[in-house]
Amino acid sequence: MLRVAHIAPVETAVASERWGSQLDVARAELVADARLARAGLSALDRYSMRIDKLIQDIYTSARGETTTPVALLAIGGYGRAQLCLHSDLDLMVVFGGPIAAAEERFLRLVLHPLWDLRLDVGHQVRELRDFDHVEVDNPEYLVAILEARFLAGDRAVFERFVAACLSEGSDWHAPMRNALVELTAQRHAQFNRTVFHLEPDIKDAPGGLRDATAIRLLARLADRDLARRATSDAGRLDEAEDFLLRIRSILHLERGRNLNDLSHELQETVATLFGSSGNQRPRQVEALMSTYFHHARLIARSLAAVMKSLSAPSTSTPAAIGHDLERAWDGVRFTDGTRASLRPDTWLCPFEAALDAHVPVSDQVLTCIERHGERYAPERFLPSTDERDRLMRMLRPRAGLYERLSEMHGSGLLGRIFPEFQKIYCLVIRDFYHKYTVDEHTLLTIRNLERLTTPHTPGRQRFGDVLAELSNPELLVLALLFHDVGKWTNRNHSEEGVRMAVGALRRIKVPERSITDVVFLIRHHLQMSLAAFRRDVTDPEVVTQFARLVGSEQRLKLLCLMTLVDVDAVGPDVMTPWKEDMLWRLYVETYNRLTLGYGDDVIDDTVPTIDEVVTARPDDIPEGELTTFLEGYPQRYLRLVDRARVYEHVRLSRDIRPGEVRCALEETGSAWELSAIAFDQPRLFANVCGVLSYFGMDILRGQAMTNQGDIVLDLFQFADHEDYLQLHQSAATELTQLLGDVVAGKVDIDTKLRGRARALAGSSRKQRIVPVVHFDNHHSRRFTVVEIVAENAWGLLYRVSRAISNRQCDIDLVLISTEGSRAIDVFHITQANQKLSETAQRQLRVEVETALTVGPTS
Amino acid sequence: MKLIKAIVRPNKVDDIKDALARNAIAGLTVTEVRGHGRQRGHSPVYRGSEYEVSLLPKMEIEVVVADEAVEEAIDAIMTAARTGEIGDGRVFVMPVEQSRVIRTGERDVV
Repeated sequence: MLRVAHIAPVETAVASERWGSQLDVARAELVADARLARAGLSALDRYSMRIDKLIQDIYTSARGETTTPVALLAIGGYGRAQLCLHSDLDLMVVFGGPIAAAEERFLRLVLHPLWDLRLDVGHQVRELRDFDHVEVDNPEYLVAILEARFLAGDRAVFERFVAACLSEGSDWHAPMRNALVELTAQRHAQFNRTVFHLEPDIKDAPGGLRDATAIRLLARLADRDLARRATSDAGRLDEAEDFLLRIRSILHLERGRNLNDLSHELQETVATLFGSSGNQRPRQVEALMSTYFHHARLIARSLAAVMKSLSAPSTSTPAAIGHDLERAWDGVRFTDGTRASLRPDTWLCPFEAALDAHVPVSDQVLTCIERHGERYAPERFLPSTDERDRLMRMLRPRAGLYERLSEMHGSGLLGRIFPEFQKIYCLVIRDFYHKYTVDEHTLLTIRNLERLTTPHTPGRQRFGDVLAELSNPELLVLALLFHDVGKWTNRNHSEEGVRMAVGALRRIKVPERSITDVVFLIRHHLQMSLAAFRRDVTDPEVVTQFARLVGSEQRLKLLCLMTLVDVDAVGPDVMTPWKEDMLWRLYVETYNRLTLGYGDDVIDDTVPTIDEVVTARPDDIPEGELTTFLEGYPQRYLRLVDRARVYEHVRLSRDIRPGEVRCALEETGSAWELSAIAFDQPRLFANVCGVLSYFGMDILRGQAMTNQGDIVLDLFQFADHEDYLQLHQSAATELTQLLGDVVAGKVDIDTKLRGRARALAGSSRKQRIVPVVHFDNHHSRRFTVVEIVAENAWGLLYRVSRAISNRQCDIDLVLISTEGSRAIDVFHITQANQKLSETAQRQLRVEVETALTVGPTS
Repeated sequence: MKLIKAIVRPNKVDDIKDALARNAIAGLTVTEVRGHGRQRGHSPVYRGSEYEVSLLPKMEIEVVVADEAVEEAIDAIMTAARTGEIGDGRVFVMPVEQSRVIRTGERDVV
């Protein structure tokens, strides 16, 4: 083996001039094509052929120097005829015999003219016998010779090289494949393994030209099946490669060097030369980069599929994992692909099964969806409640959700179910912040949410705890999916997103109440970051205004998590721990405002929302009756209860007498809602809780409030785990009847509960949550606020409220919340119409702590 | 030349930037920092439990100005950053020996 270091130039002036002219003509033609943004596959092939001709001429002038058979080969990018304006000219000279002085003279006569023409020549010189042993220590060389192409000389020498290195079954194949895989992995690591770079390297970045080459080479080196599958996408791969080469040609032209990074500055030049759509420069650049990411994604996905195929076992038997589904080595697939192609309503099933099994979806499924998806209208994918429920189940945050949604998006299924989402496919918005396309940013928000299910830092743990408390986290995922779809237009993207989301969610029959929450989140998805990072969160007025905007703890939690994952998905390191702390502080201040400080904001005629309720009232409710009923209740009542229920409460309260209770019981999905209205009286709240406990109901949420006329309104949401109300026709009547008897003093609920408590004796669990009782005389002007956090247990709320009543305290407002196994109860209380003194607080604390620590048998 | 370093409330950065721009002072560096001065953190309560926040989030603004512009810049910063409450921050002034523009090599341009 010989590598030539330096040989003095030998040439004739005439030949040199001729070759110079040949090169000038070839370059001028390529430059002209590049200026028109047409220097893609065909143009580069033409240019490569012209360089071939130049080298063949030089070879002809030099061949008399040696009698040893010799072949000149193009390798690397030149070998695949993709020579750009300033690409290296990779050559290999193979001699059929030993290299001596004559062969060295021949080499000088070939190489020196090329150097004199200022071509960047990368050359390898070998004897045929060198190919008897694989050069495993030179991975770049192994990959370069894979694309060897005969240029000039003795074709028999070339064929012997091919037989030794490139023929099927050659010893060189495995090392070549390993070298290619290793080099690809190293290169991807240099680019953080992502396609998404604001200033991408067209050649080396994931999804770039080297990846496109790797796909073809790996397919050649693997089995025939793999080669067939890889080339089944050949049309789209060619299109992507052509696009990237056209850009690369412009970069070489503009830079005058072999530099391939598409900088912001050059994006503008390239977009202009491409004639990208849009009447303004930024829009043209966004259009160009959208197309770039579309192609880069395609290449990256194809390469990933080929890489995955390399690890395929030689034999494997798929295992059935559900109806018409099986689990194969590459993930979940249809048992019968042809049948599945005719049943778009089953296409979500493999994604759900893959999520459950923590495996990917196989290429068979993705290819089926890609090929047949456009035949079906959006409603064909979710025709019934079963499919819609499946989608909602799938959208609950958990490990793998981002990957599965990405597969759905890549195969086109997500865009077919929600054509609104397709509007942001590979959409680029050029600003100083966003690093990813709008669709990828959106999916990354969901990945960030998914990661909160297993948080890795204490900072994230607190947000993870908030996520665990959400009863409908899939609504947050829906809101995230649609939060930026409005960016397809120049209009206010939040409002446009709301418009698009409402249409999509109604189409898949999401309940209106849930749509209202999703709409709120999309409309205000920028508001919390604005308040947390641009306003003074220590200013009570800022907190009050923000609390007014969110209105409830549930929405606060949703918006807080949405803000965290949205900012975090803008780019790496955008959501710093510093910003996390700012966000958390606003969350805590607002949470406290909503739960501890809402008691002072009562409804009066200055509250704007009262006008809406009055204007829309039905004919049977006079204005005076309505306003008298509302006055004195906290404003959150109007924020959290819809108008129809407010009117129902007015009717229930009509002509109510002391000692009487009126109830409305309604089933809402998986829970029940009870509205109970009565004149205020001692132990009223404790008695209502006692009755619900007596029937075994698990109180999830609730609130109690008193108006100026001393009418108490208790609203409870509870779970009936034993389905008592459903299974017994008269159960609802029994419950309301007992409630009436207890409030009227005809029945002592204590006595009845003791009987049930004896039945439950022994079922009490060891407490895992250390109870907390916290008194606050700061947040409310009128009330002492008692916040109690404890392990949820049967009868807990009854015991606590009874303890408060036993200390002669009046319960004016109550907020009840059950988050998993944690009960969080906030009581706004007074004693003799005053806030509690420190002594009274100490006494009450003892009483409440006793109630928390004793079991249900007390 | 002087380096002015101001530790301010996070929400005051935009106001300070605008105030400096009105005084024809361009170019500043903003960093997220934490710390405390006389305002020694606080103990917010979440769900009945106190947690201590000993280091408060602040923003640090650095700006280099000519000697004759120092007082003007300090006034602009202080006016824009002041709320009158504890926690408004501090301004420090330090001498700068020299500066270079990396692209052009120019010296001591502010």
